[in-house]
Amino acid sequence: MSLLSPIICDNGTGYSKVGFAGNSDPSFVFPTAIATRGPASQPSRSGPAVPSKPGHLASKRGVEDLDFFIGDEALANAKTPGYGVSYPIRHGQIDNWDYMERYWEQTIFKYLRAEPEDHYFLLVRDQHCSTGLPDNLSVQTEPPLNPPENREQTAEIFFESFNIQGLYIAVQAVLALAASWSSNRVVDRTLTGTVIDSGDGVTHVIPCAEGYVIGSSIKHIPIAGRDLSQFVLNLMRERGEMVNVPPEDQLKIAGKVKENYTYVCQDIVKEFRKYDAEPYKYFERYDGEHSVTGRKYSVDVGYERFLAPEIFFNPEIYSSDFLTPLPEIVDGVIQGSPIDVRRGLYKNIVLSGGSTMFQHFGQRLKRDLKQIVDRRLEASAVSSGSVQKSSGVDVDVISHKRQRYAVWFGGSLLASLPEFYSSCHTKAQYDEVGPSIVRRYQIFGTAT
Amino acid sequence: MILLEPHNYIIQTTLAEKFTKPSSLDVQFVDFDGVRFHLSTPERKSALLLSMHIRCWDELVRYGAQEVLQREYGPLVQAQPEPEYNVSLVIDLDTAPPEGEERDNFVKSIALLKRNALAAPFELAFTKQKELESAGDGQGELTAIHYRDEEAIYIRAAHDRVTVIFSTVFREETDRIFGKVFLQEFVDARRLPTIQNAPQVLYTNRDPPLEIRHVPGLRDSEDIGYVTFVLFPRHFNNPTVAAGTISHIELFRDYLHYHIKCSKAYMQSRMRHRVAEFQKVLNRAKTEAATSTERKTVTGRTLHTR
Ligand SMILES: Nc1ncnc2c1ncn2[C@@H]1O[C@H](COP(=O)(O)OP(=O)(O)OP(=O)(O)O)[C@@H](O)[C@H]1O
Ligand SMILES: [Mg+2]
Repeated sequence: MSLLSPIICDNGTGYSKVGFAGNSDPSFVFPTAIATRGPASQPSRSGPAVPSKPGHLASKRGVEDLDFFIGDEALANAKTPGYGVSYPIRHGQIDNWDYMERYWEQTIFKYLRAEPEDHYFLLVRDQHCSTGLPDNLSVQTEPPLNPPENREQTAEIFFESFNIQGLYIAVQAVLALAASWSSNRVVDRTLTGTVIDSGDGVTHVIPCAEGYVIGSSIKHIPIAGRDLSQFVLNLMRERGEMVNVPPEDQLKIAGKVKENYTYVCQDIVKEFRKYDAEPYKYFERYDGEHSVTGRKYSVDVGYERFLAPEIFFNPEIYSSDFLTPLPEIVDGVIQGSPIDVRRGLYKNIVLSGGSTMFQHFGQRLKRDLKQIVDRRLEASAVSSGSVQKSSGVDVDVISHKRQRYAVWFGGSLLASLPEFYSSCHTKAQYDEVGPSIVRRYQIFGTAT
Repeated sequence: MILLEPHNYIIQTTLAEKFTKPSSLDVQFVDFDGVRFHLSTPERKSALLLSMHIRCWDELVRYGAQEVLQREYGPLVQAQPEPEYNVSLVIDLDTAPPEGEERDNFVKSIALLKRNALAAPFELAFTKQKELESAGDGQGELTAIHYRDEEAIYIRAAHDRVTVIFSTVFREETDRIFGKVFLQEFVDARRLPTIQNAPQVLYTNRDPPLEIRHVPGLRDSEDIGYVTFVLFPRHFNNPTVAAGTISHIELFRDYLHYHIKCSKAYMQSRMRHRVAEFQKVLNRAKTEAATSTERKTVTGRTLHTR
């Protein structure tokens, strides 16, 4: 049954994207949330129930190992007495392995309806976990907080609990680069470029050279989708829009407003003037319904339409402790990378994740970054007193159709290549070597 | 969710979505037991083509799958299935039932395609049992459905019962042990008065049950197990009960393996909890040792860290 397509799982802080290789979209996108019996806040205080006496397990234990919900169903059951909701991933990292294992269990059996023993799997690893360098190098460059055991635990679960046929743990940024091959502006299938992945919990800026992440210059920005929603909520509350919205729905409404009405402007002062001159043209109306009573309400959507994503470019309007604009960070990351790859990094800046979906986001980033680069070139020309003008540096930001689920889509592409199978660790290899096998990492799929 | 459901979620959710928002589509996905699906819109956005490949199709056809699918889906069934697939349905969004319960039921019935195809041999056995019952004696033919590479379902009708036997392979030693315990519990649980009406279940490891011992080519190894269900007329007399029985029995193998995996995860949770507890104890021991030593210089002055 090896004909069955590999399964691709990208479990994010906010949403999990899961489906089969070869498709252009994941089969399921649902919250990375699980509802289990008992209070959610102290999951392991007392540990899972232990049968009082050995012997007749079924009668003592009941079915709590099967009694839980994941994804949208988990949220729907949040108010059911007896269940508590937990989020097993925090800031892109697995926080609770017990919940994560059960989350995968139900993803595979209930939603994908696949027998894991019949499939190969491609899982996505967060940048934190490793630099993606070959093993001998990565041992030293691993950030201290992120031991390789993360990958090993994952392998243990998939090979030992689920008995899968083979496993490939992919690097998020590399998949995002592969996803951009679908854009017609990308002519060569290169794995050199700078990835900007912005999801729900964190924004990463990751330089890659030929499929290897340049670990020492990665930057994480503590501003992502969740903060944008919060910011929209703050703005709307200040204007008094939220008085008719039940408190428990407010953040959700702010999120919807963010996803449906916002865009990146090119000049914030001009934008304010436009709104003030013609409010009826630019203000929008959002209609909602009370989730319990069914009462209808509507709210006005105003300046937040362009202010929300503006916090990437002017973080001071939202945060007081993180103040560097995204274009400056990107420039810093590239300048911090080896000199011979910098051109490639400026030329291929690839967007990925839900929070890069704003209209004109790429355009603005490109403009701001280009300004920084040109200014530096000019300054160095002046200081060296050279009359020869530099030929300039190409800056290009790639937006593409598959950007929303870019990481998943990149996985789907790579796992449909014939080399995928030989790049995986198989069950037999795992049984022989043990979990440490996943420290070996193989790149494949580039044009060269 | 405790039981696995008989219908396919991807078919259900995709169809429901396309009804409200028709758009072009081309997706491939699977279902248990190596079933492959292809859902696409080759001609126009409102005509969905759903094709299924199922390993044991030839056997199913022999036991009446075509007729069952014709009965369930009528004109939706295509005379010529899509290449590389065994059966194709065309769902026309424009002529399908209006929004509401009727449409939900329609969508659900499409999502049951695999279940319905696999139901044919069971239905046949139930009918055969009726015949034999009126004849008062005799046994039907032993039908074998090789639904997975190394696993099969055997069904035989007799005048008073229908016997269903599953063979299943446990890839891992641990799985085999869990499987054994789980099936033993299944056998024991039936002694409880509340579920005495459930079908009788027997489990054997390695040795095939008497009913199929004569079948050539059975593997004789430790990793194989046989589960026997004995269904009595009360389990399939009424059409609704019969349909429920078929849905449950078809998924039994997958449910068993799902349950084994859940039990393993549950055990691991408990082990992780233990390890975390030990670690706490160890950490406590460590900090005490570090703070209790007061360091002094040779002259007796105490050292402070700044
Ligand atoms: N069209 C859109 N415009 C703006 N934001 C969007 C849009 N669609 C989704 N989002 C936001 O993107 C975020 C989810 O993105 P994504 O699925 O990439 O994150 P994740 O992978 O769950 O998180 P992370 O990568 O941080 O672990 C949410 O905050 C969501 O509100
Ligand atoms: Mg993500």
